[in-house]
Amino acid sequence: MTSPRRAIISTVFLLTAAGFAALLAQSAPLPNRPDSLKFAAIGDNGTGDRPQYEIAEQMTKAHATFPFDLVIMLGDNMYGRQTPADFVKKFEQPYAALLKANVMFQASLGNHDRPENVSYRPYNMNGQRYYTYARKNVRFLALDSTLMDTKQLEWVDATLGGAREDWKICYFHHPLYSDASRHGSSVDLRLLLEPIFVRNGVHVVFSGHDHVYERVKPQKGIYYFVSGAAGQLRRGNMRPSAETAASFDQDLSFMLVEVAGLEMHFQAISRSGRVVDAGVIRRPSGANPPTAR
Amino acid sequence: MLRATFPQFWAFALEHLLVLPLGAAIALIWVNVSPESYYSFTYTIAFTVNDVAMVFFFGLMTKEVVEATAPDGLLYPWRRALLPVIAAVGATTVSALIYVRVVDVLDEPALRVAWPVTFGTDIALSYFVGRLILRRELVPFVLLLAIASNALGFIAIALFNPTGELRPVAGAAIMAVAIGLALALRRARVKSFWPYVLAAGGVSWFALFRGGVHPALALVPIMPFLPHAPRDPGFFVDASPDAHDALSRFEIVWRHPAQVALFFFGLVNAGVSFHALEPGTWGLPIAVIAGKPVGILIGAGVALAAGLHLPQRVGWRELVTVGFITAIGFSVGLFLCTALLPPGQLRAETSMGDLLTLAAAPIALVSARLLRVGRG
Repeated sequence: MTSPRRAIISTVFLLTAAGFAALLAQSAPLPNRPDSLKFAAIGDNGTGDRPQYEIAEQMTKAHATFPFDLVIMLGDNMYGRQTPADFVKKFEQPYAALLKANVMFQASLGNHDRPENVSYRPYNMNGQRYYTYARKNVRFLALDSTLMDTKQLEWVDATLGGAREDWKICYFHHPLYSDASRHGSSVDLRLLLEPIFVRNGVHVVFSGHDHVYERVKPQKGIYYFVSGAAGQLRRGNMRPSAETAASFDQDLSFMLVEVAGLEMHFQAISRSGRVVDAGVIRRPSGANPPTAR
Repeated sequence: MLRATFPQFWAFALEHLLVLPLGAAIALIWVNVSPESYYSFTYTIAFTVNDVAMVFFFGLMTKEVVEATAPDGLLYPWRRALLPVIAAVGATTVSALIYVRVVDVLDEPALRVAWPVTFGTDIALSYFVGRLILRRELVPFVLLLAIASNALGFIAIALFNPTGELRPVAGAAIMAVAIGLALALRRARVKSFWPYVLAAGGVSWFALFRGGVHPALALVPIMPFLPHAPRDPGFFVDASPDAHDALSRFEIVWRHPAQVALFFFGLVNAGVSFHALEPGTWGLPIAVIAGKPVGILIGAGVALAAGLHLPQRVGWRELVTVGFITAIGFSVGLFLCTALLPPGQLRAETSMGDLLTLAAAPIALVSARLLRVGRG
């Protein structure tokens, strides 16, 4: 076989295999085990516009078959005016069905949120800019990346150092890694936070700010997700790089996550309900960083 | 009072107005080309530059103010400063109020915590622009306003720091020791500035650091104790090389190292990634360019109602132009921003907003022309 012909056949084979793998990944179902931790992640959601409501409807639909009881909010939970009426229009109404089903929202704030929103009861922040909580075998840290001062960094280090859960998950607004062209990576914050995350064995980080979905290839053993399109979209804003594992910038999206023992399954779901990315992260027992499929 | 000759004036411009913009320009290019190396470098030296080296820059600024309290000085007698101080209170209050409202309108309410940055006025640039476009007798008024605004800004960042932890009792107790030490040195007629700077200044630095106030201001409470010439040589007039008083010797020794500090200050703090910017960036320039002239008019109105008098040939048109000039935050604005905000988007937007306040200089020029208050 001549070499150009061999190259064409190889390319066709590889593309077919990659497409098939992508299809498989996208249809990978969540295990939906009864004893697992199930949660959703939304970022940059609080517009009060129709697209936010449509994503909320998809979340409600997903909740019927995948009964998550936690939603982590990745900041910019509210845009524009933030009067009591806006809290109804931009939060309580769109997520009414989930709130009624006792789904707990745990917010972090972004640059468009009013600082005093830490005291808005349904955000469950208890008046704190940054805080921690544990669910099953997962330790969550919700951080304030808008004001990442020394005191907060010391708290993050101490809290992660003392965490004994199987999984350590941090979430905050500004992404340490992002290949979206509007904002991109917050390198200034990365240099402050990444050493702490690496030192303390953080497994997964969720952020928003860029209005796209992106899964970044593990960086120093840590998995980074950008999920900032639950209310606004910057269509075509992704500029995938060698660090991009998967991305979606053609429609709004949110994430569903299930932590079952030492496995973390995830799906990114579009406004139409299509699974646009899916996979599983395996955390080896012991202190080793997780591996992904 | 303002005796610098014209060649001295341009020498002043070369010495005081180029190093910080040069550092800032390098920072802006560097951070947008190679952010990782920029932040790695600047985080390493940030403490040394911002908290230690800048002590000498603010020491030199304070030296100018201390000398201005001597006969022939701007602040002699101190009552002369009363009206500019009241005008400065008006200017800073109105700017801060506008800022808080504007960042809300621009949908970035998280930026509200940066309101003390609106107080900053670049003294050297204000002096330069004032000398360029205003009648000579108006320049002291500009300087007094700038000094008063900055003093209010330093108080504001100490009291309203969103992330700082003020420990006033511990800080005040240690500061009392520092001031006692400076007083003892003065009483002992110590003529060298070194014991004042190293001993009293060192304790003062620790007092501010422990008290939760930015330690770059460590020499501000110490400089008044240094022996100085009986008469003010003039604002921004270089000390004579054969001057023997402690304050002049301090200037002679630290003038150039402070410029190096200022260069690195620009390099460390002005690096703003353009990707970090959002509409809230405009909040600061809008607030100070609109707020300072209006606030000065209101403050001056209050002062007049209280029985004070404006300097001769100063009316509302002059006050408006002075307001635009004092809207230039630049070096002091950048310092207030750095002291107030940790690294991240808010600092990036506020720093860039501060650089944009340079637009107040051409606006002041146009204002002077339109209102006919210029040198002509």
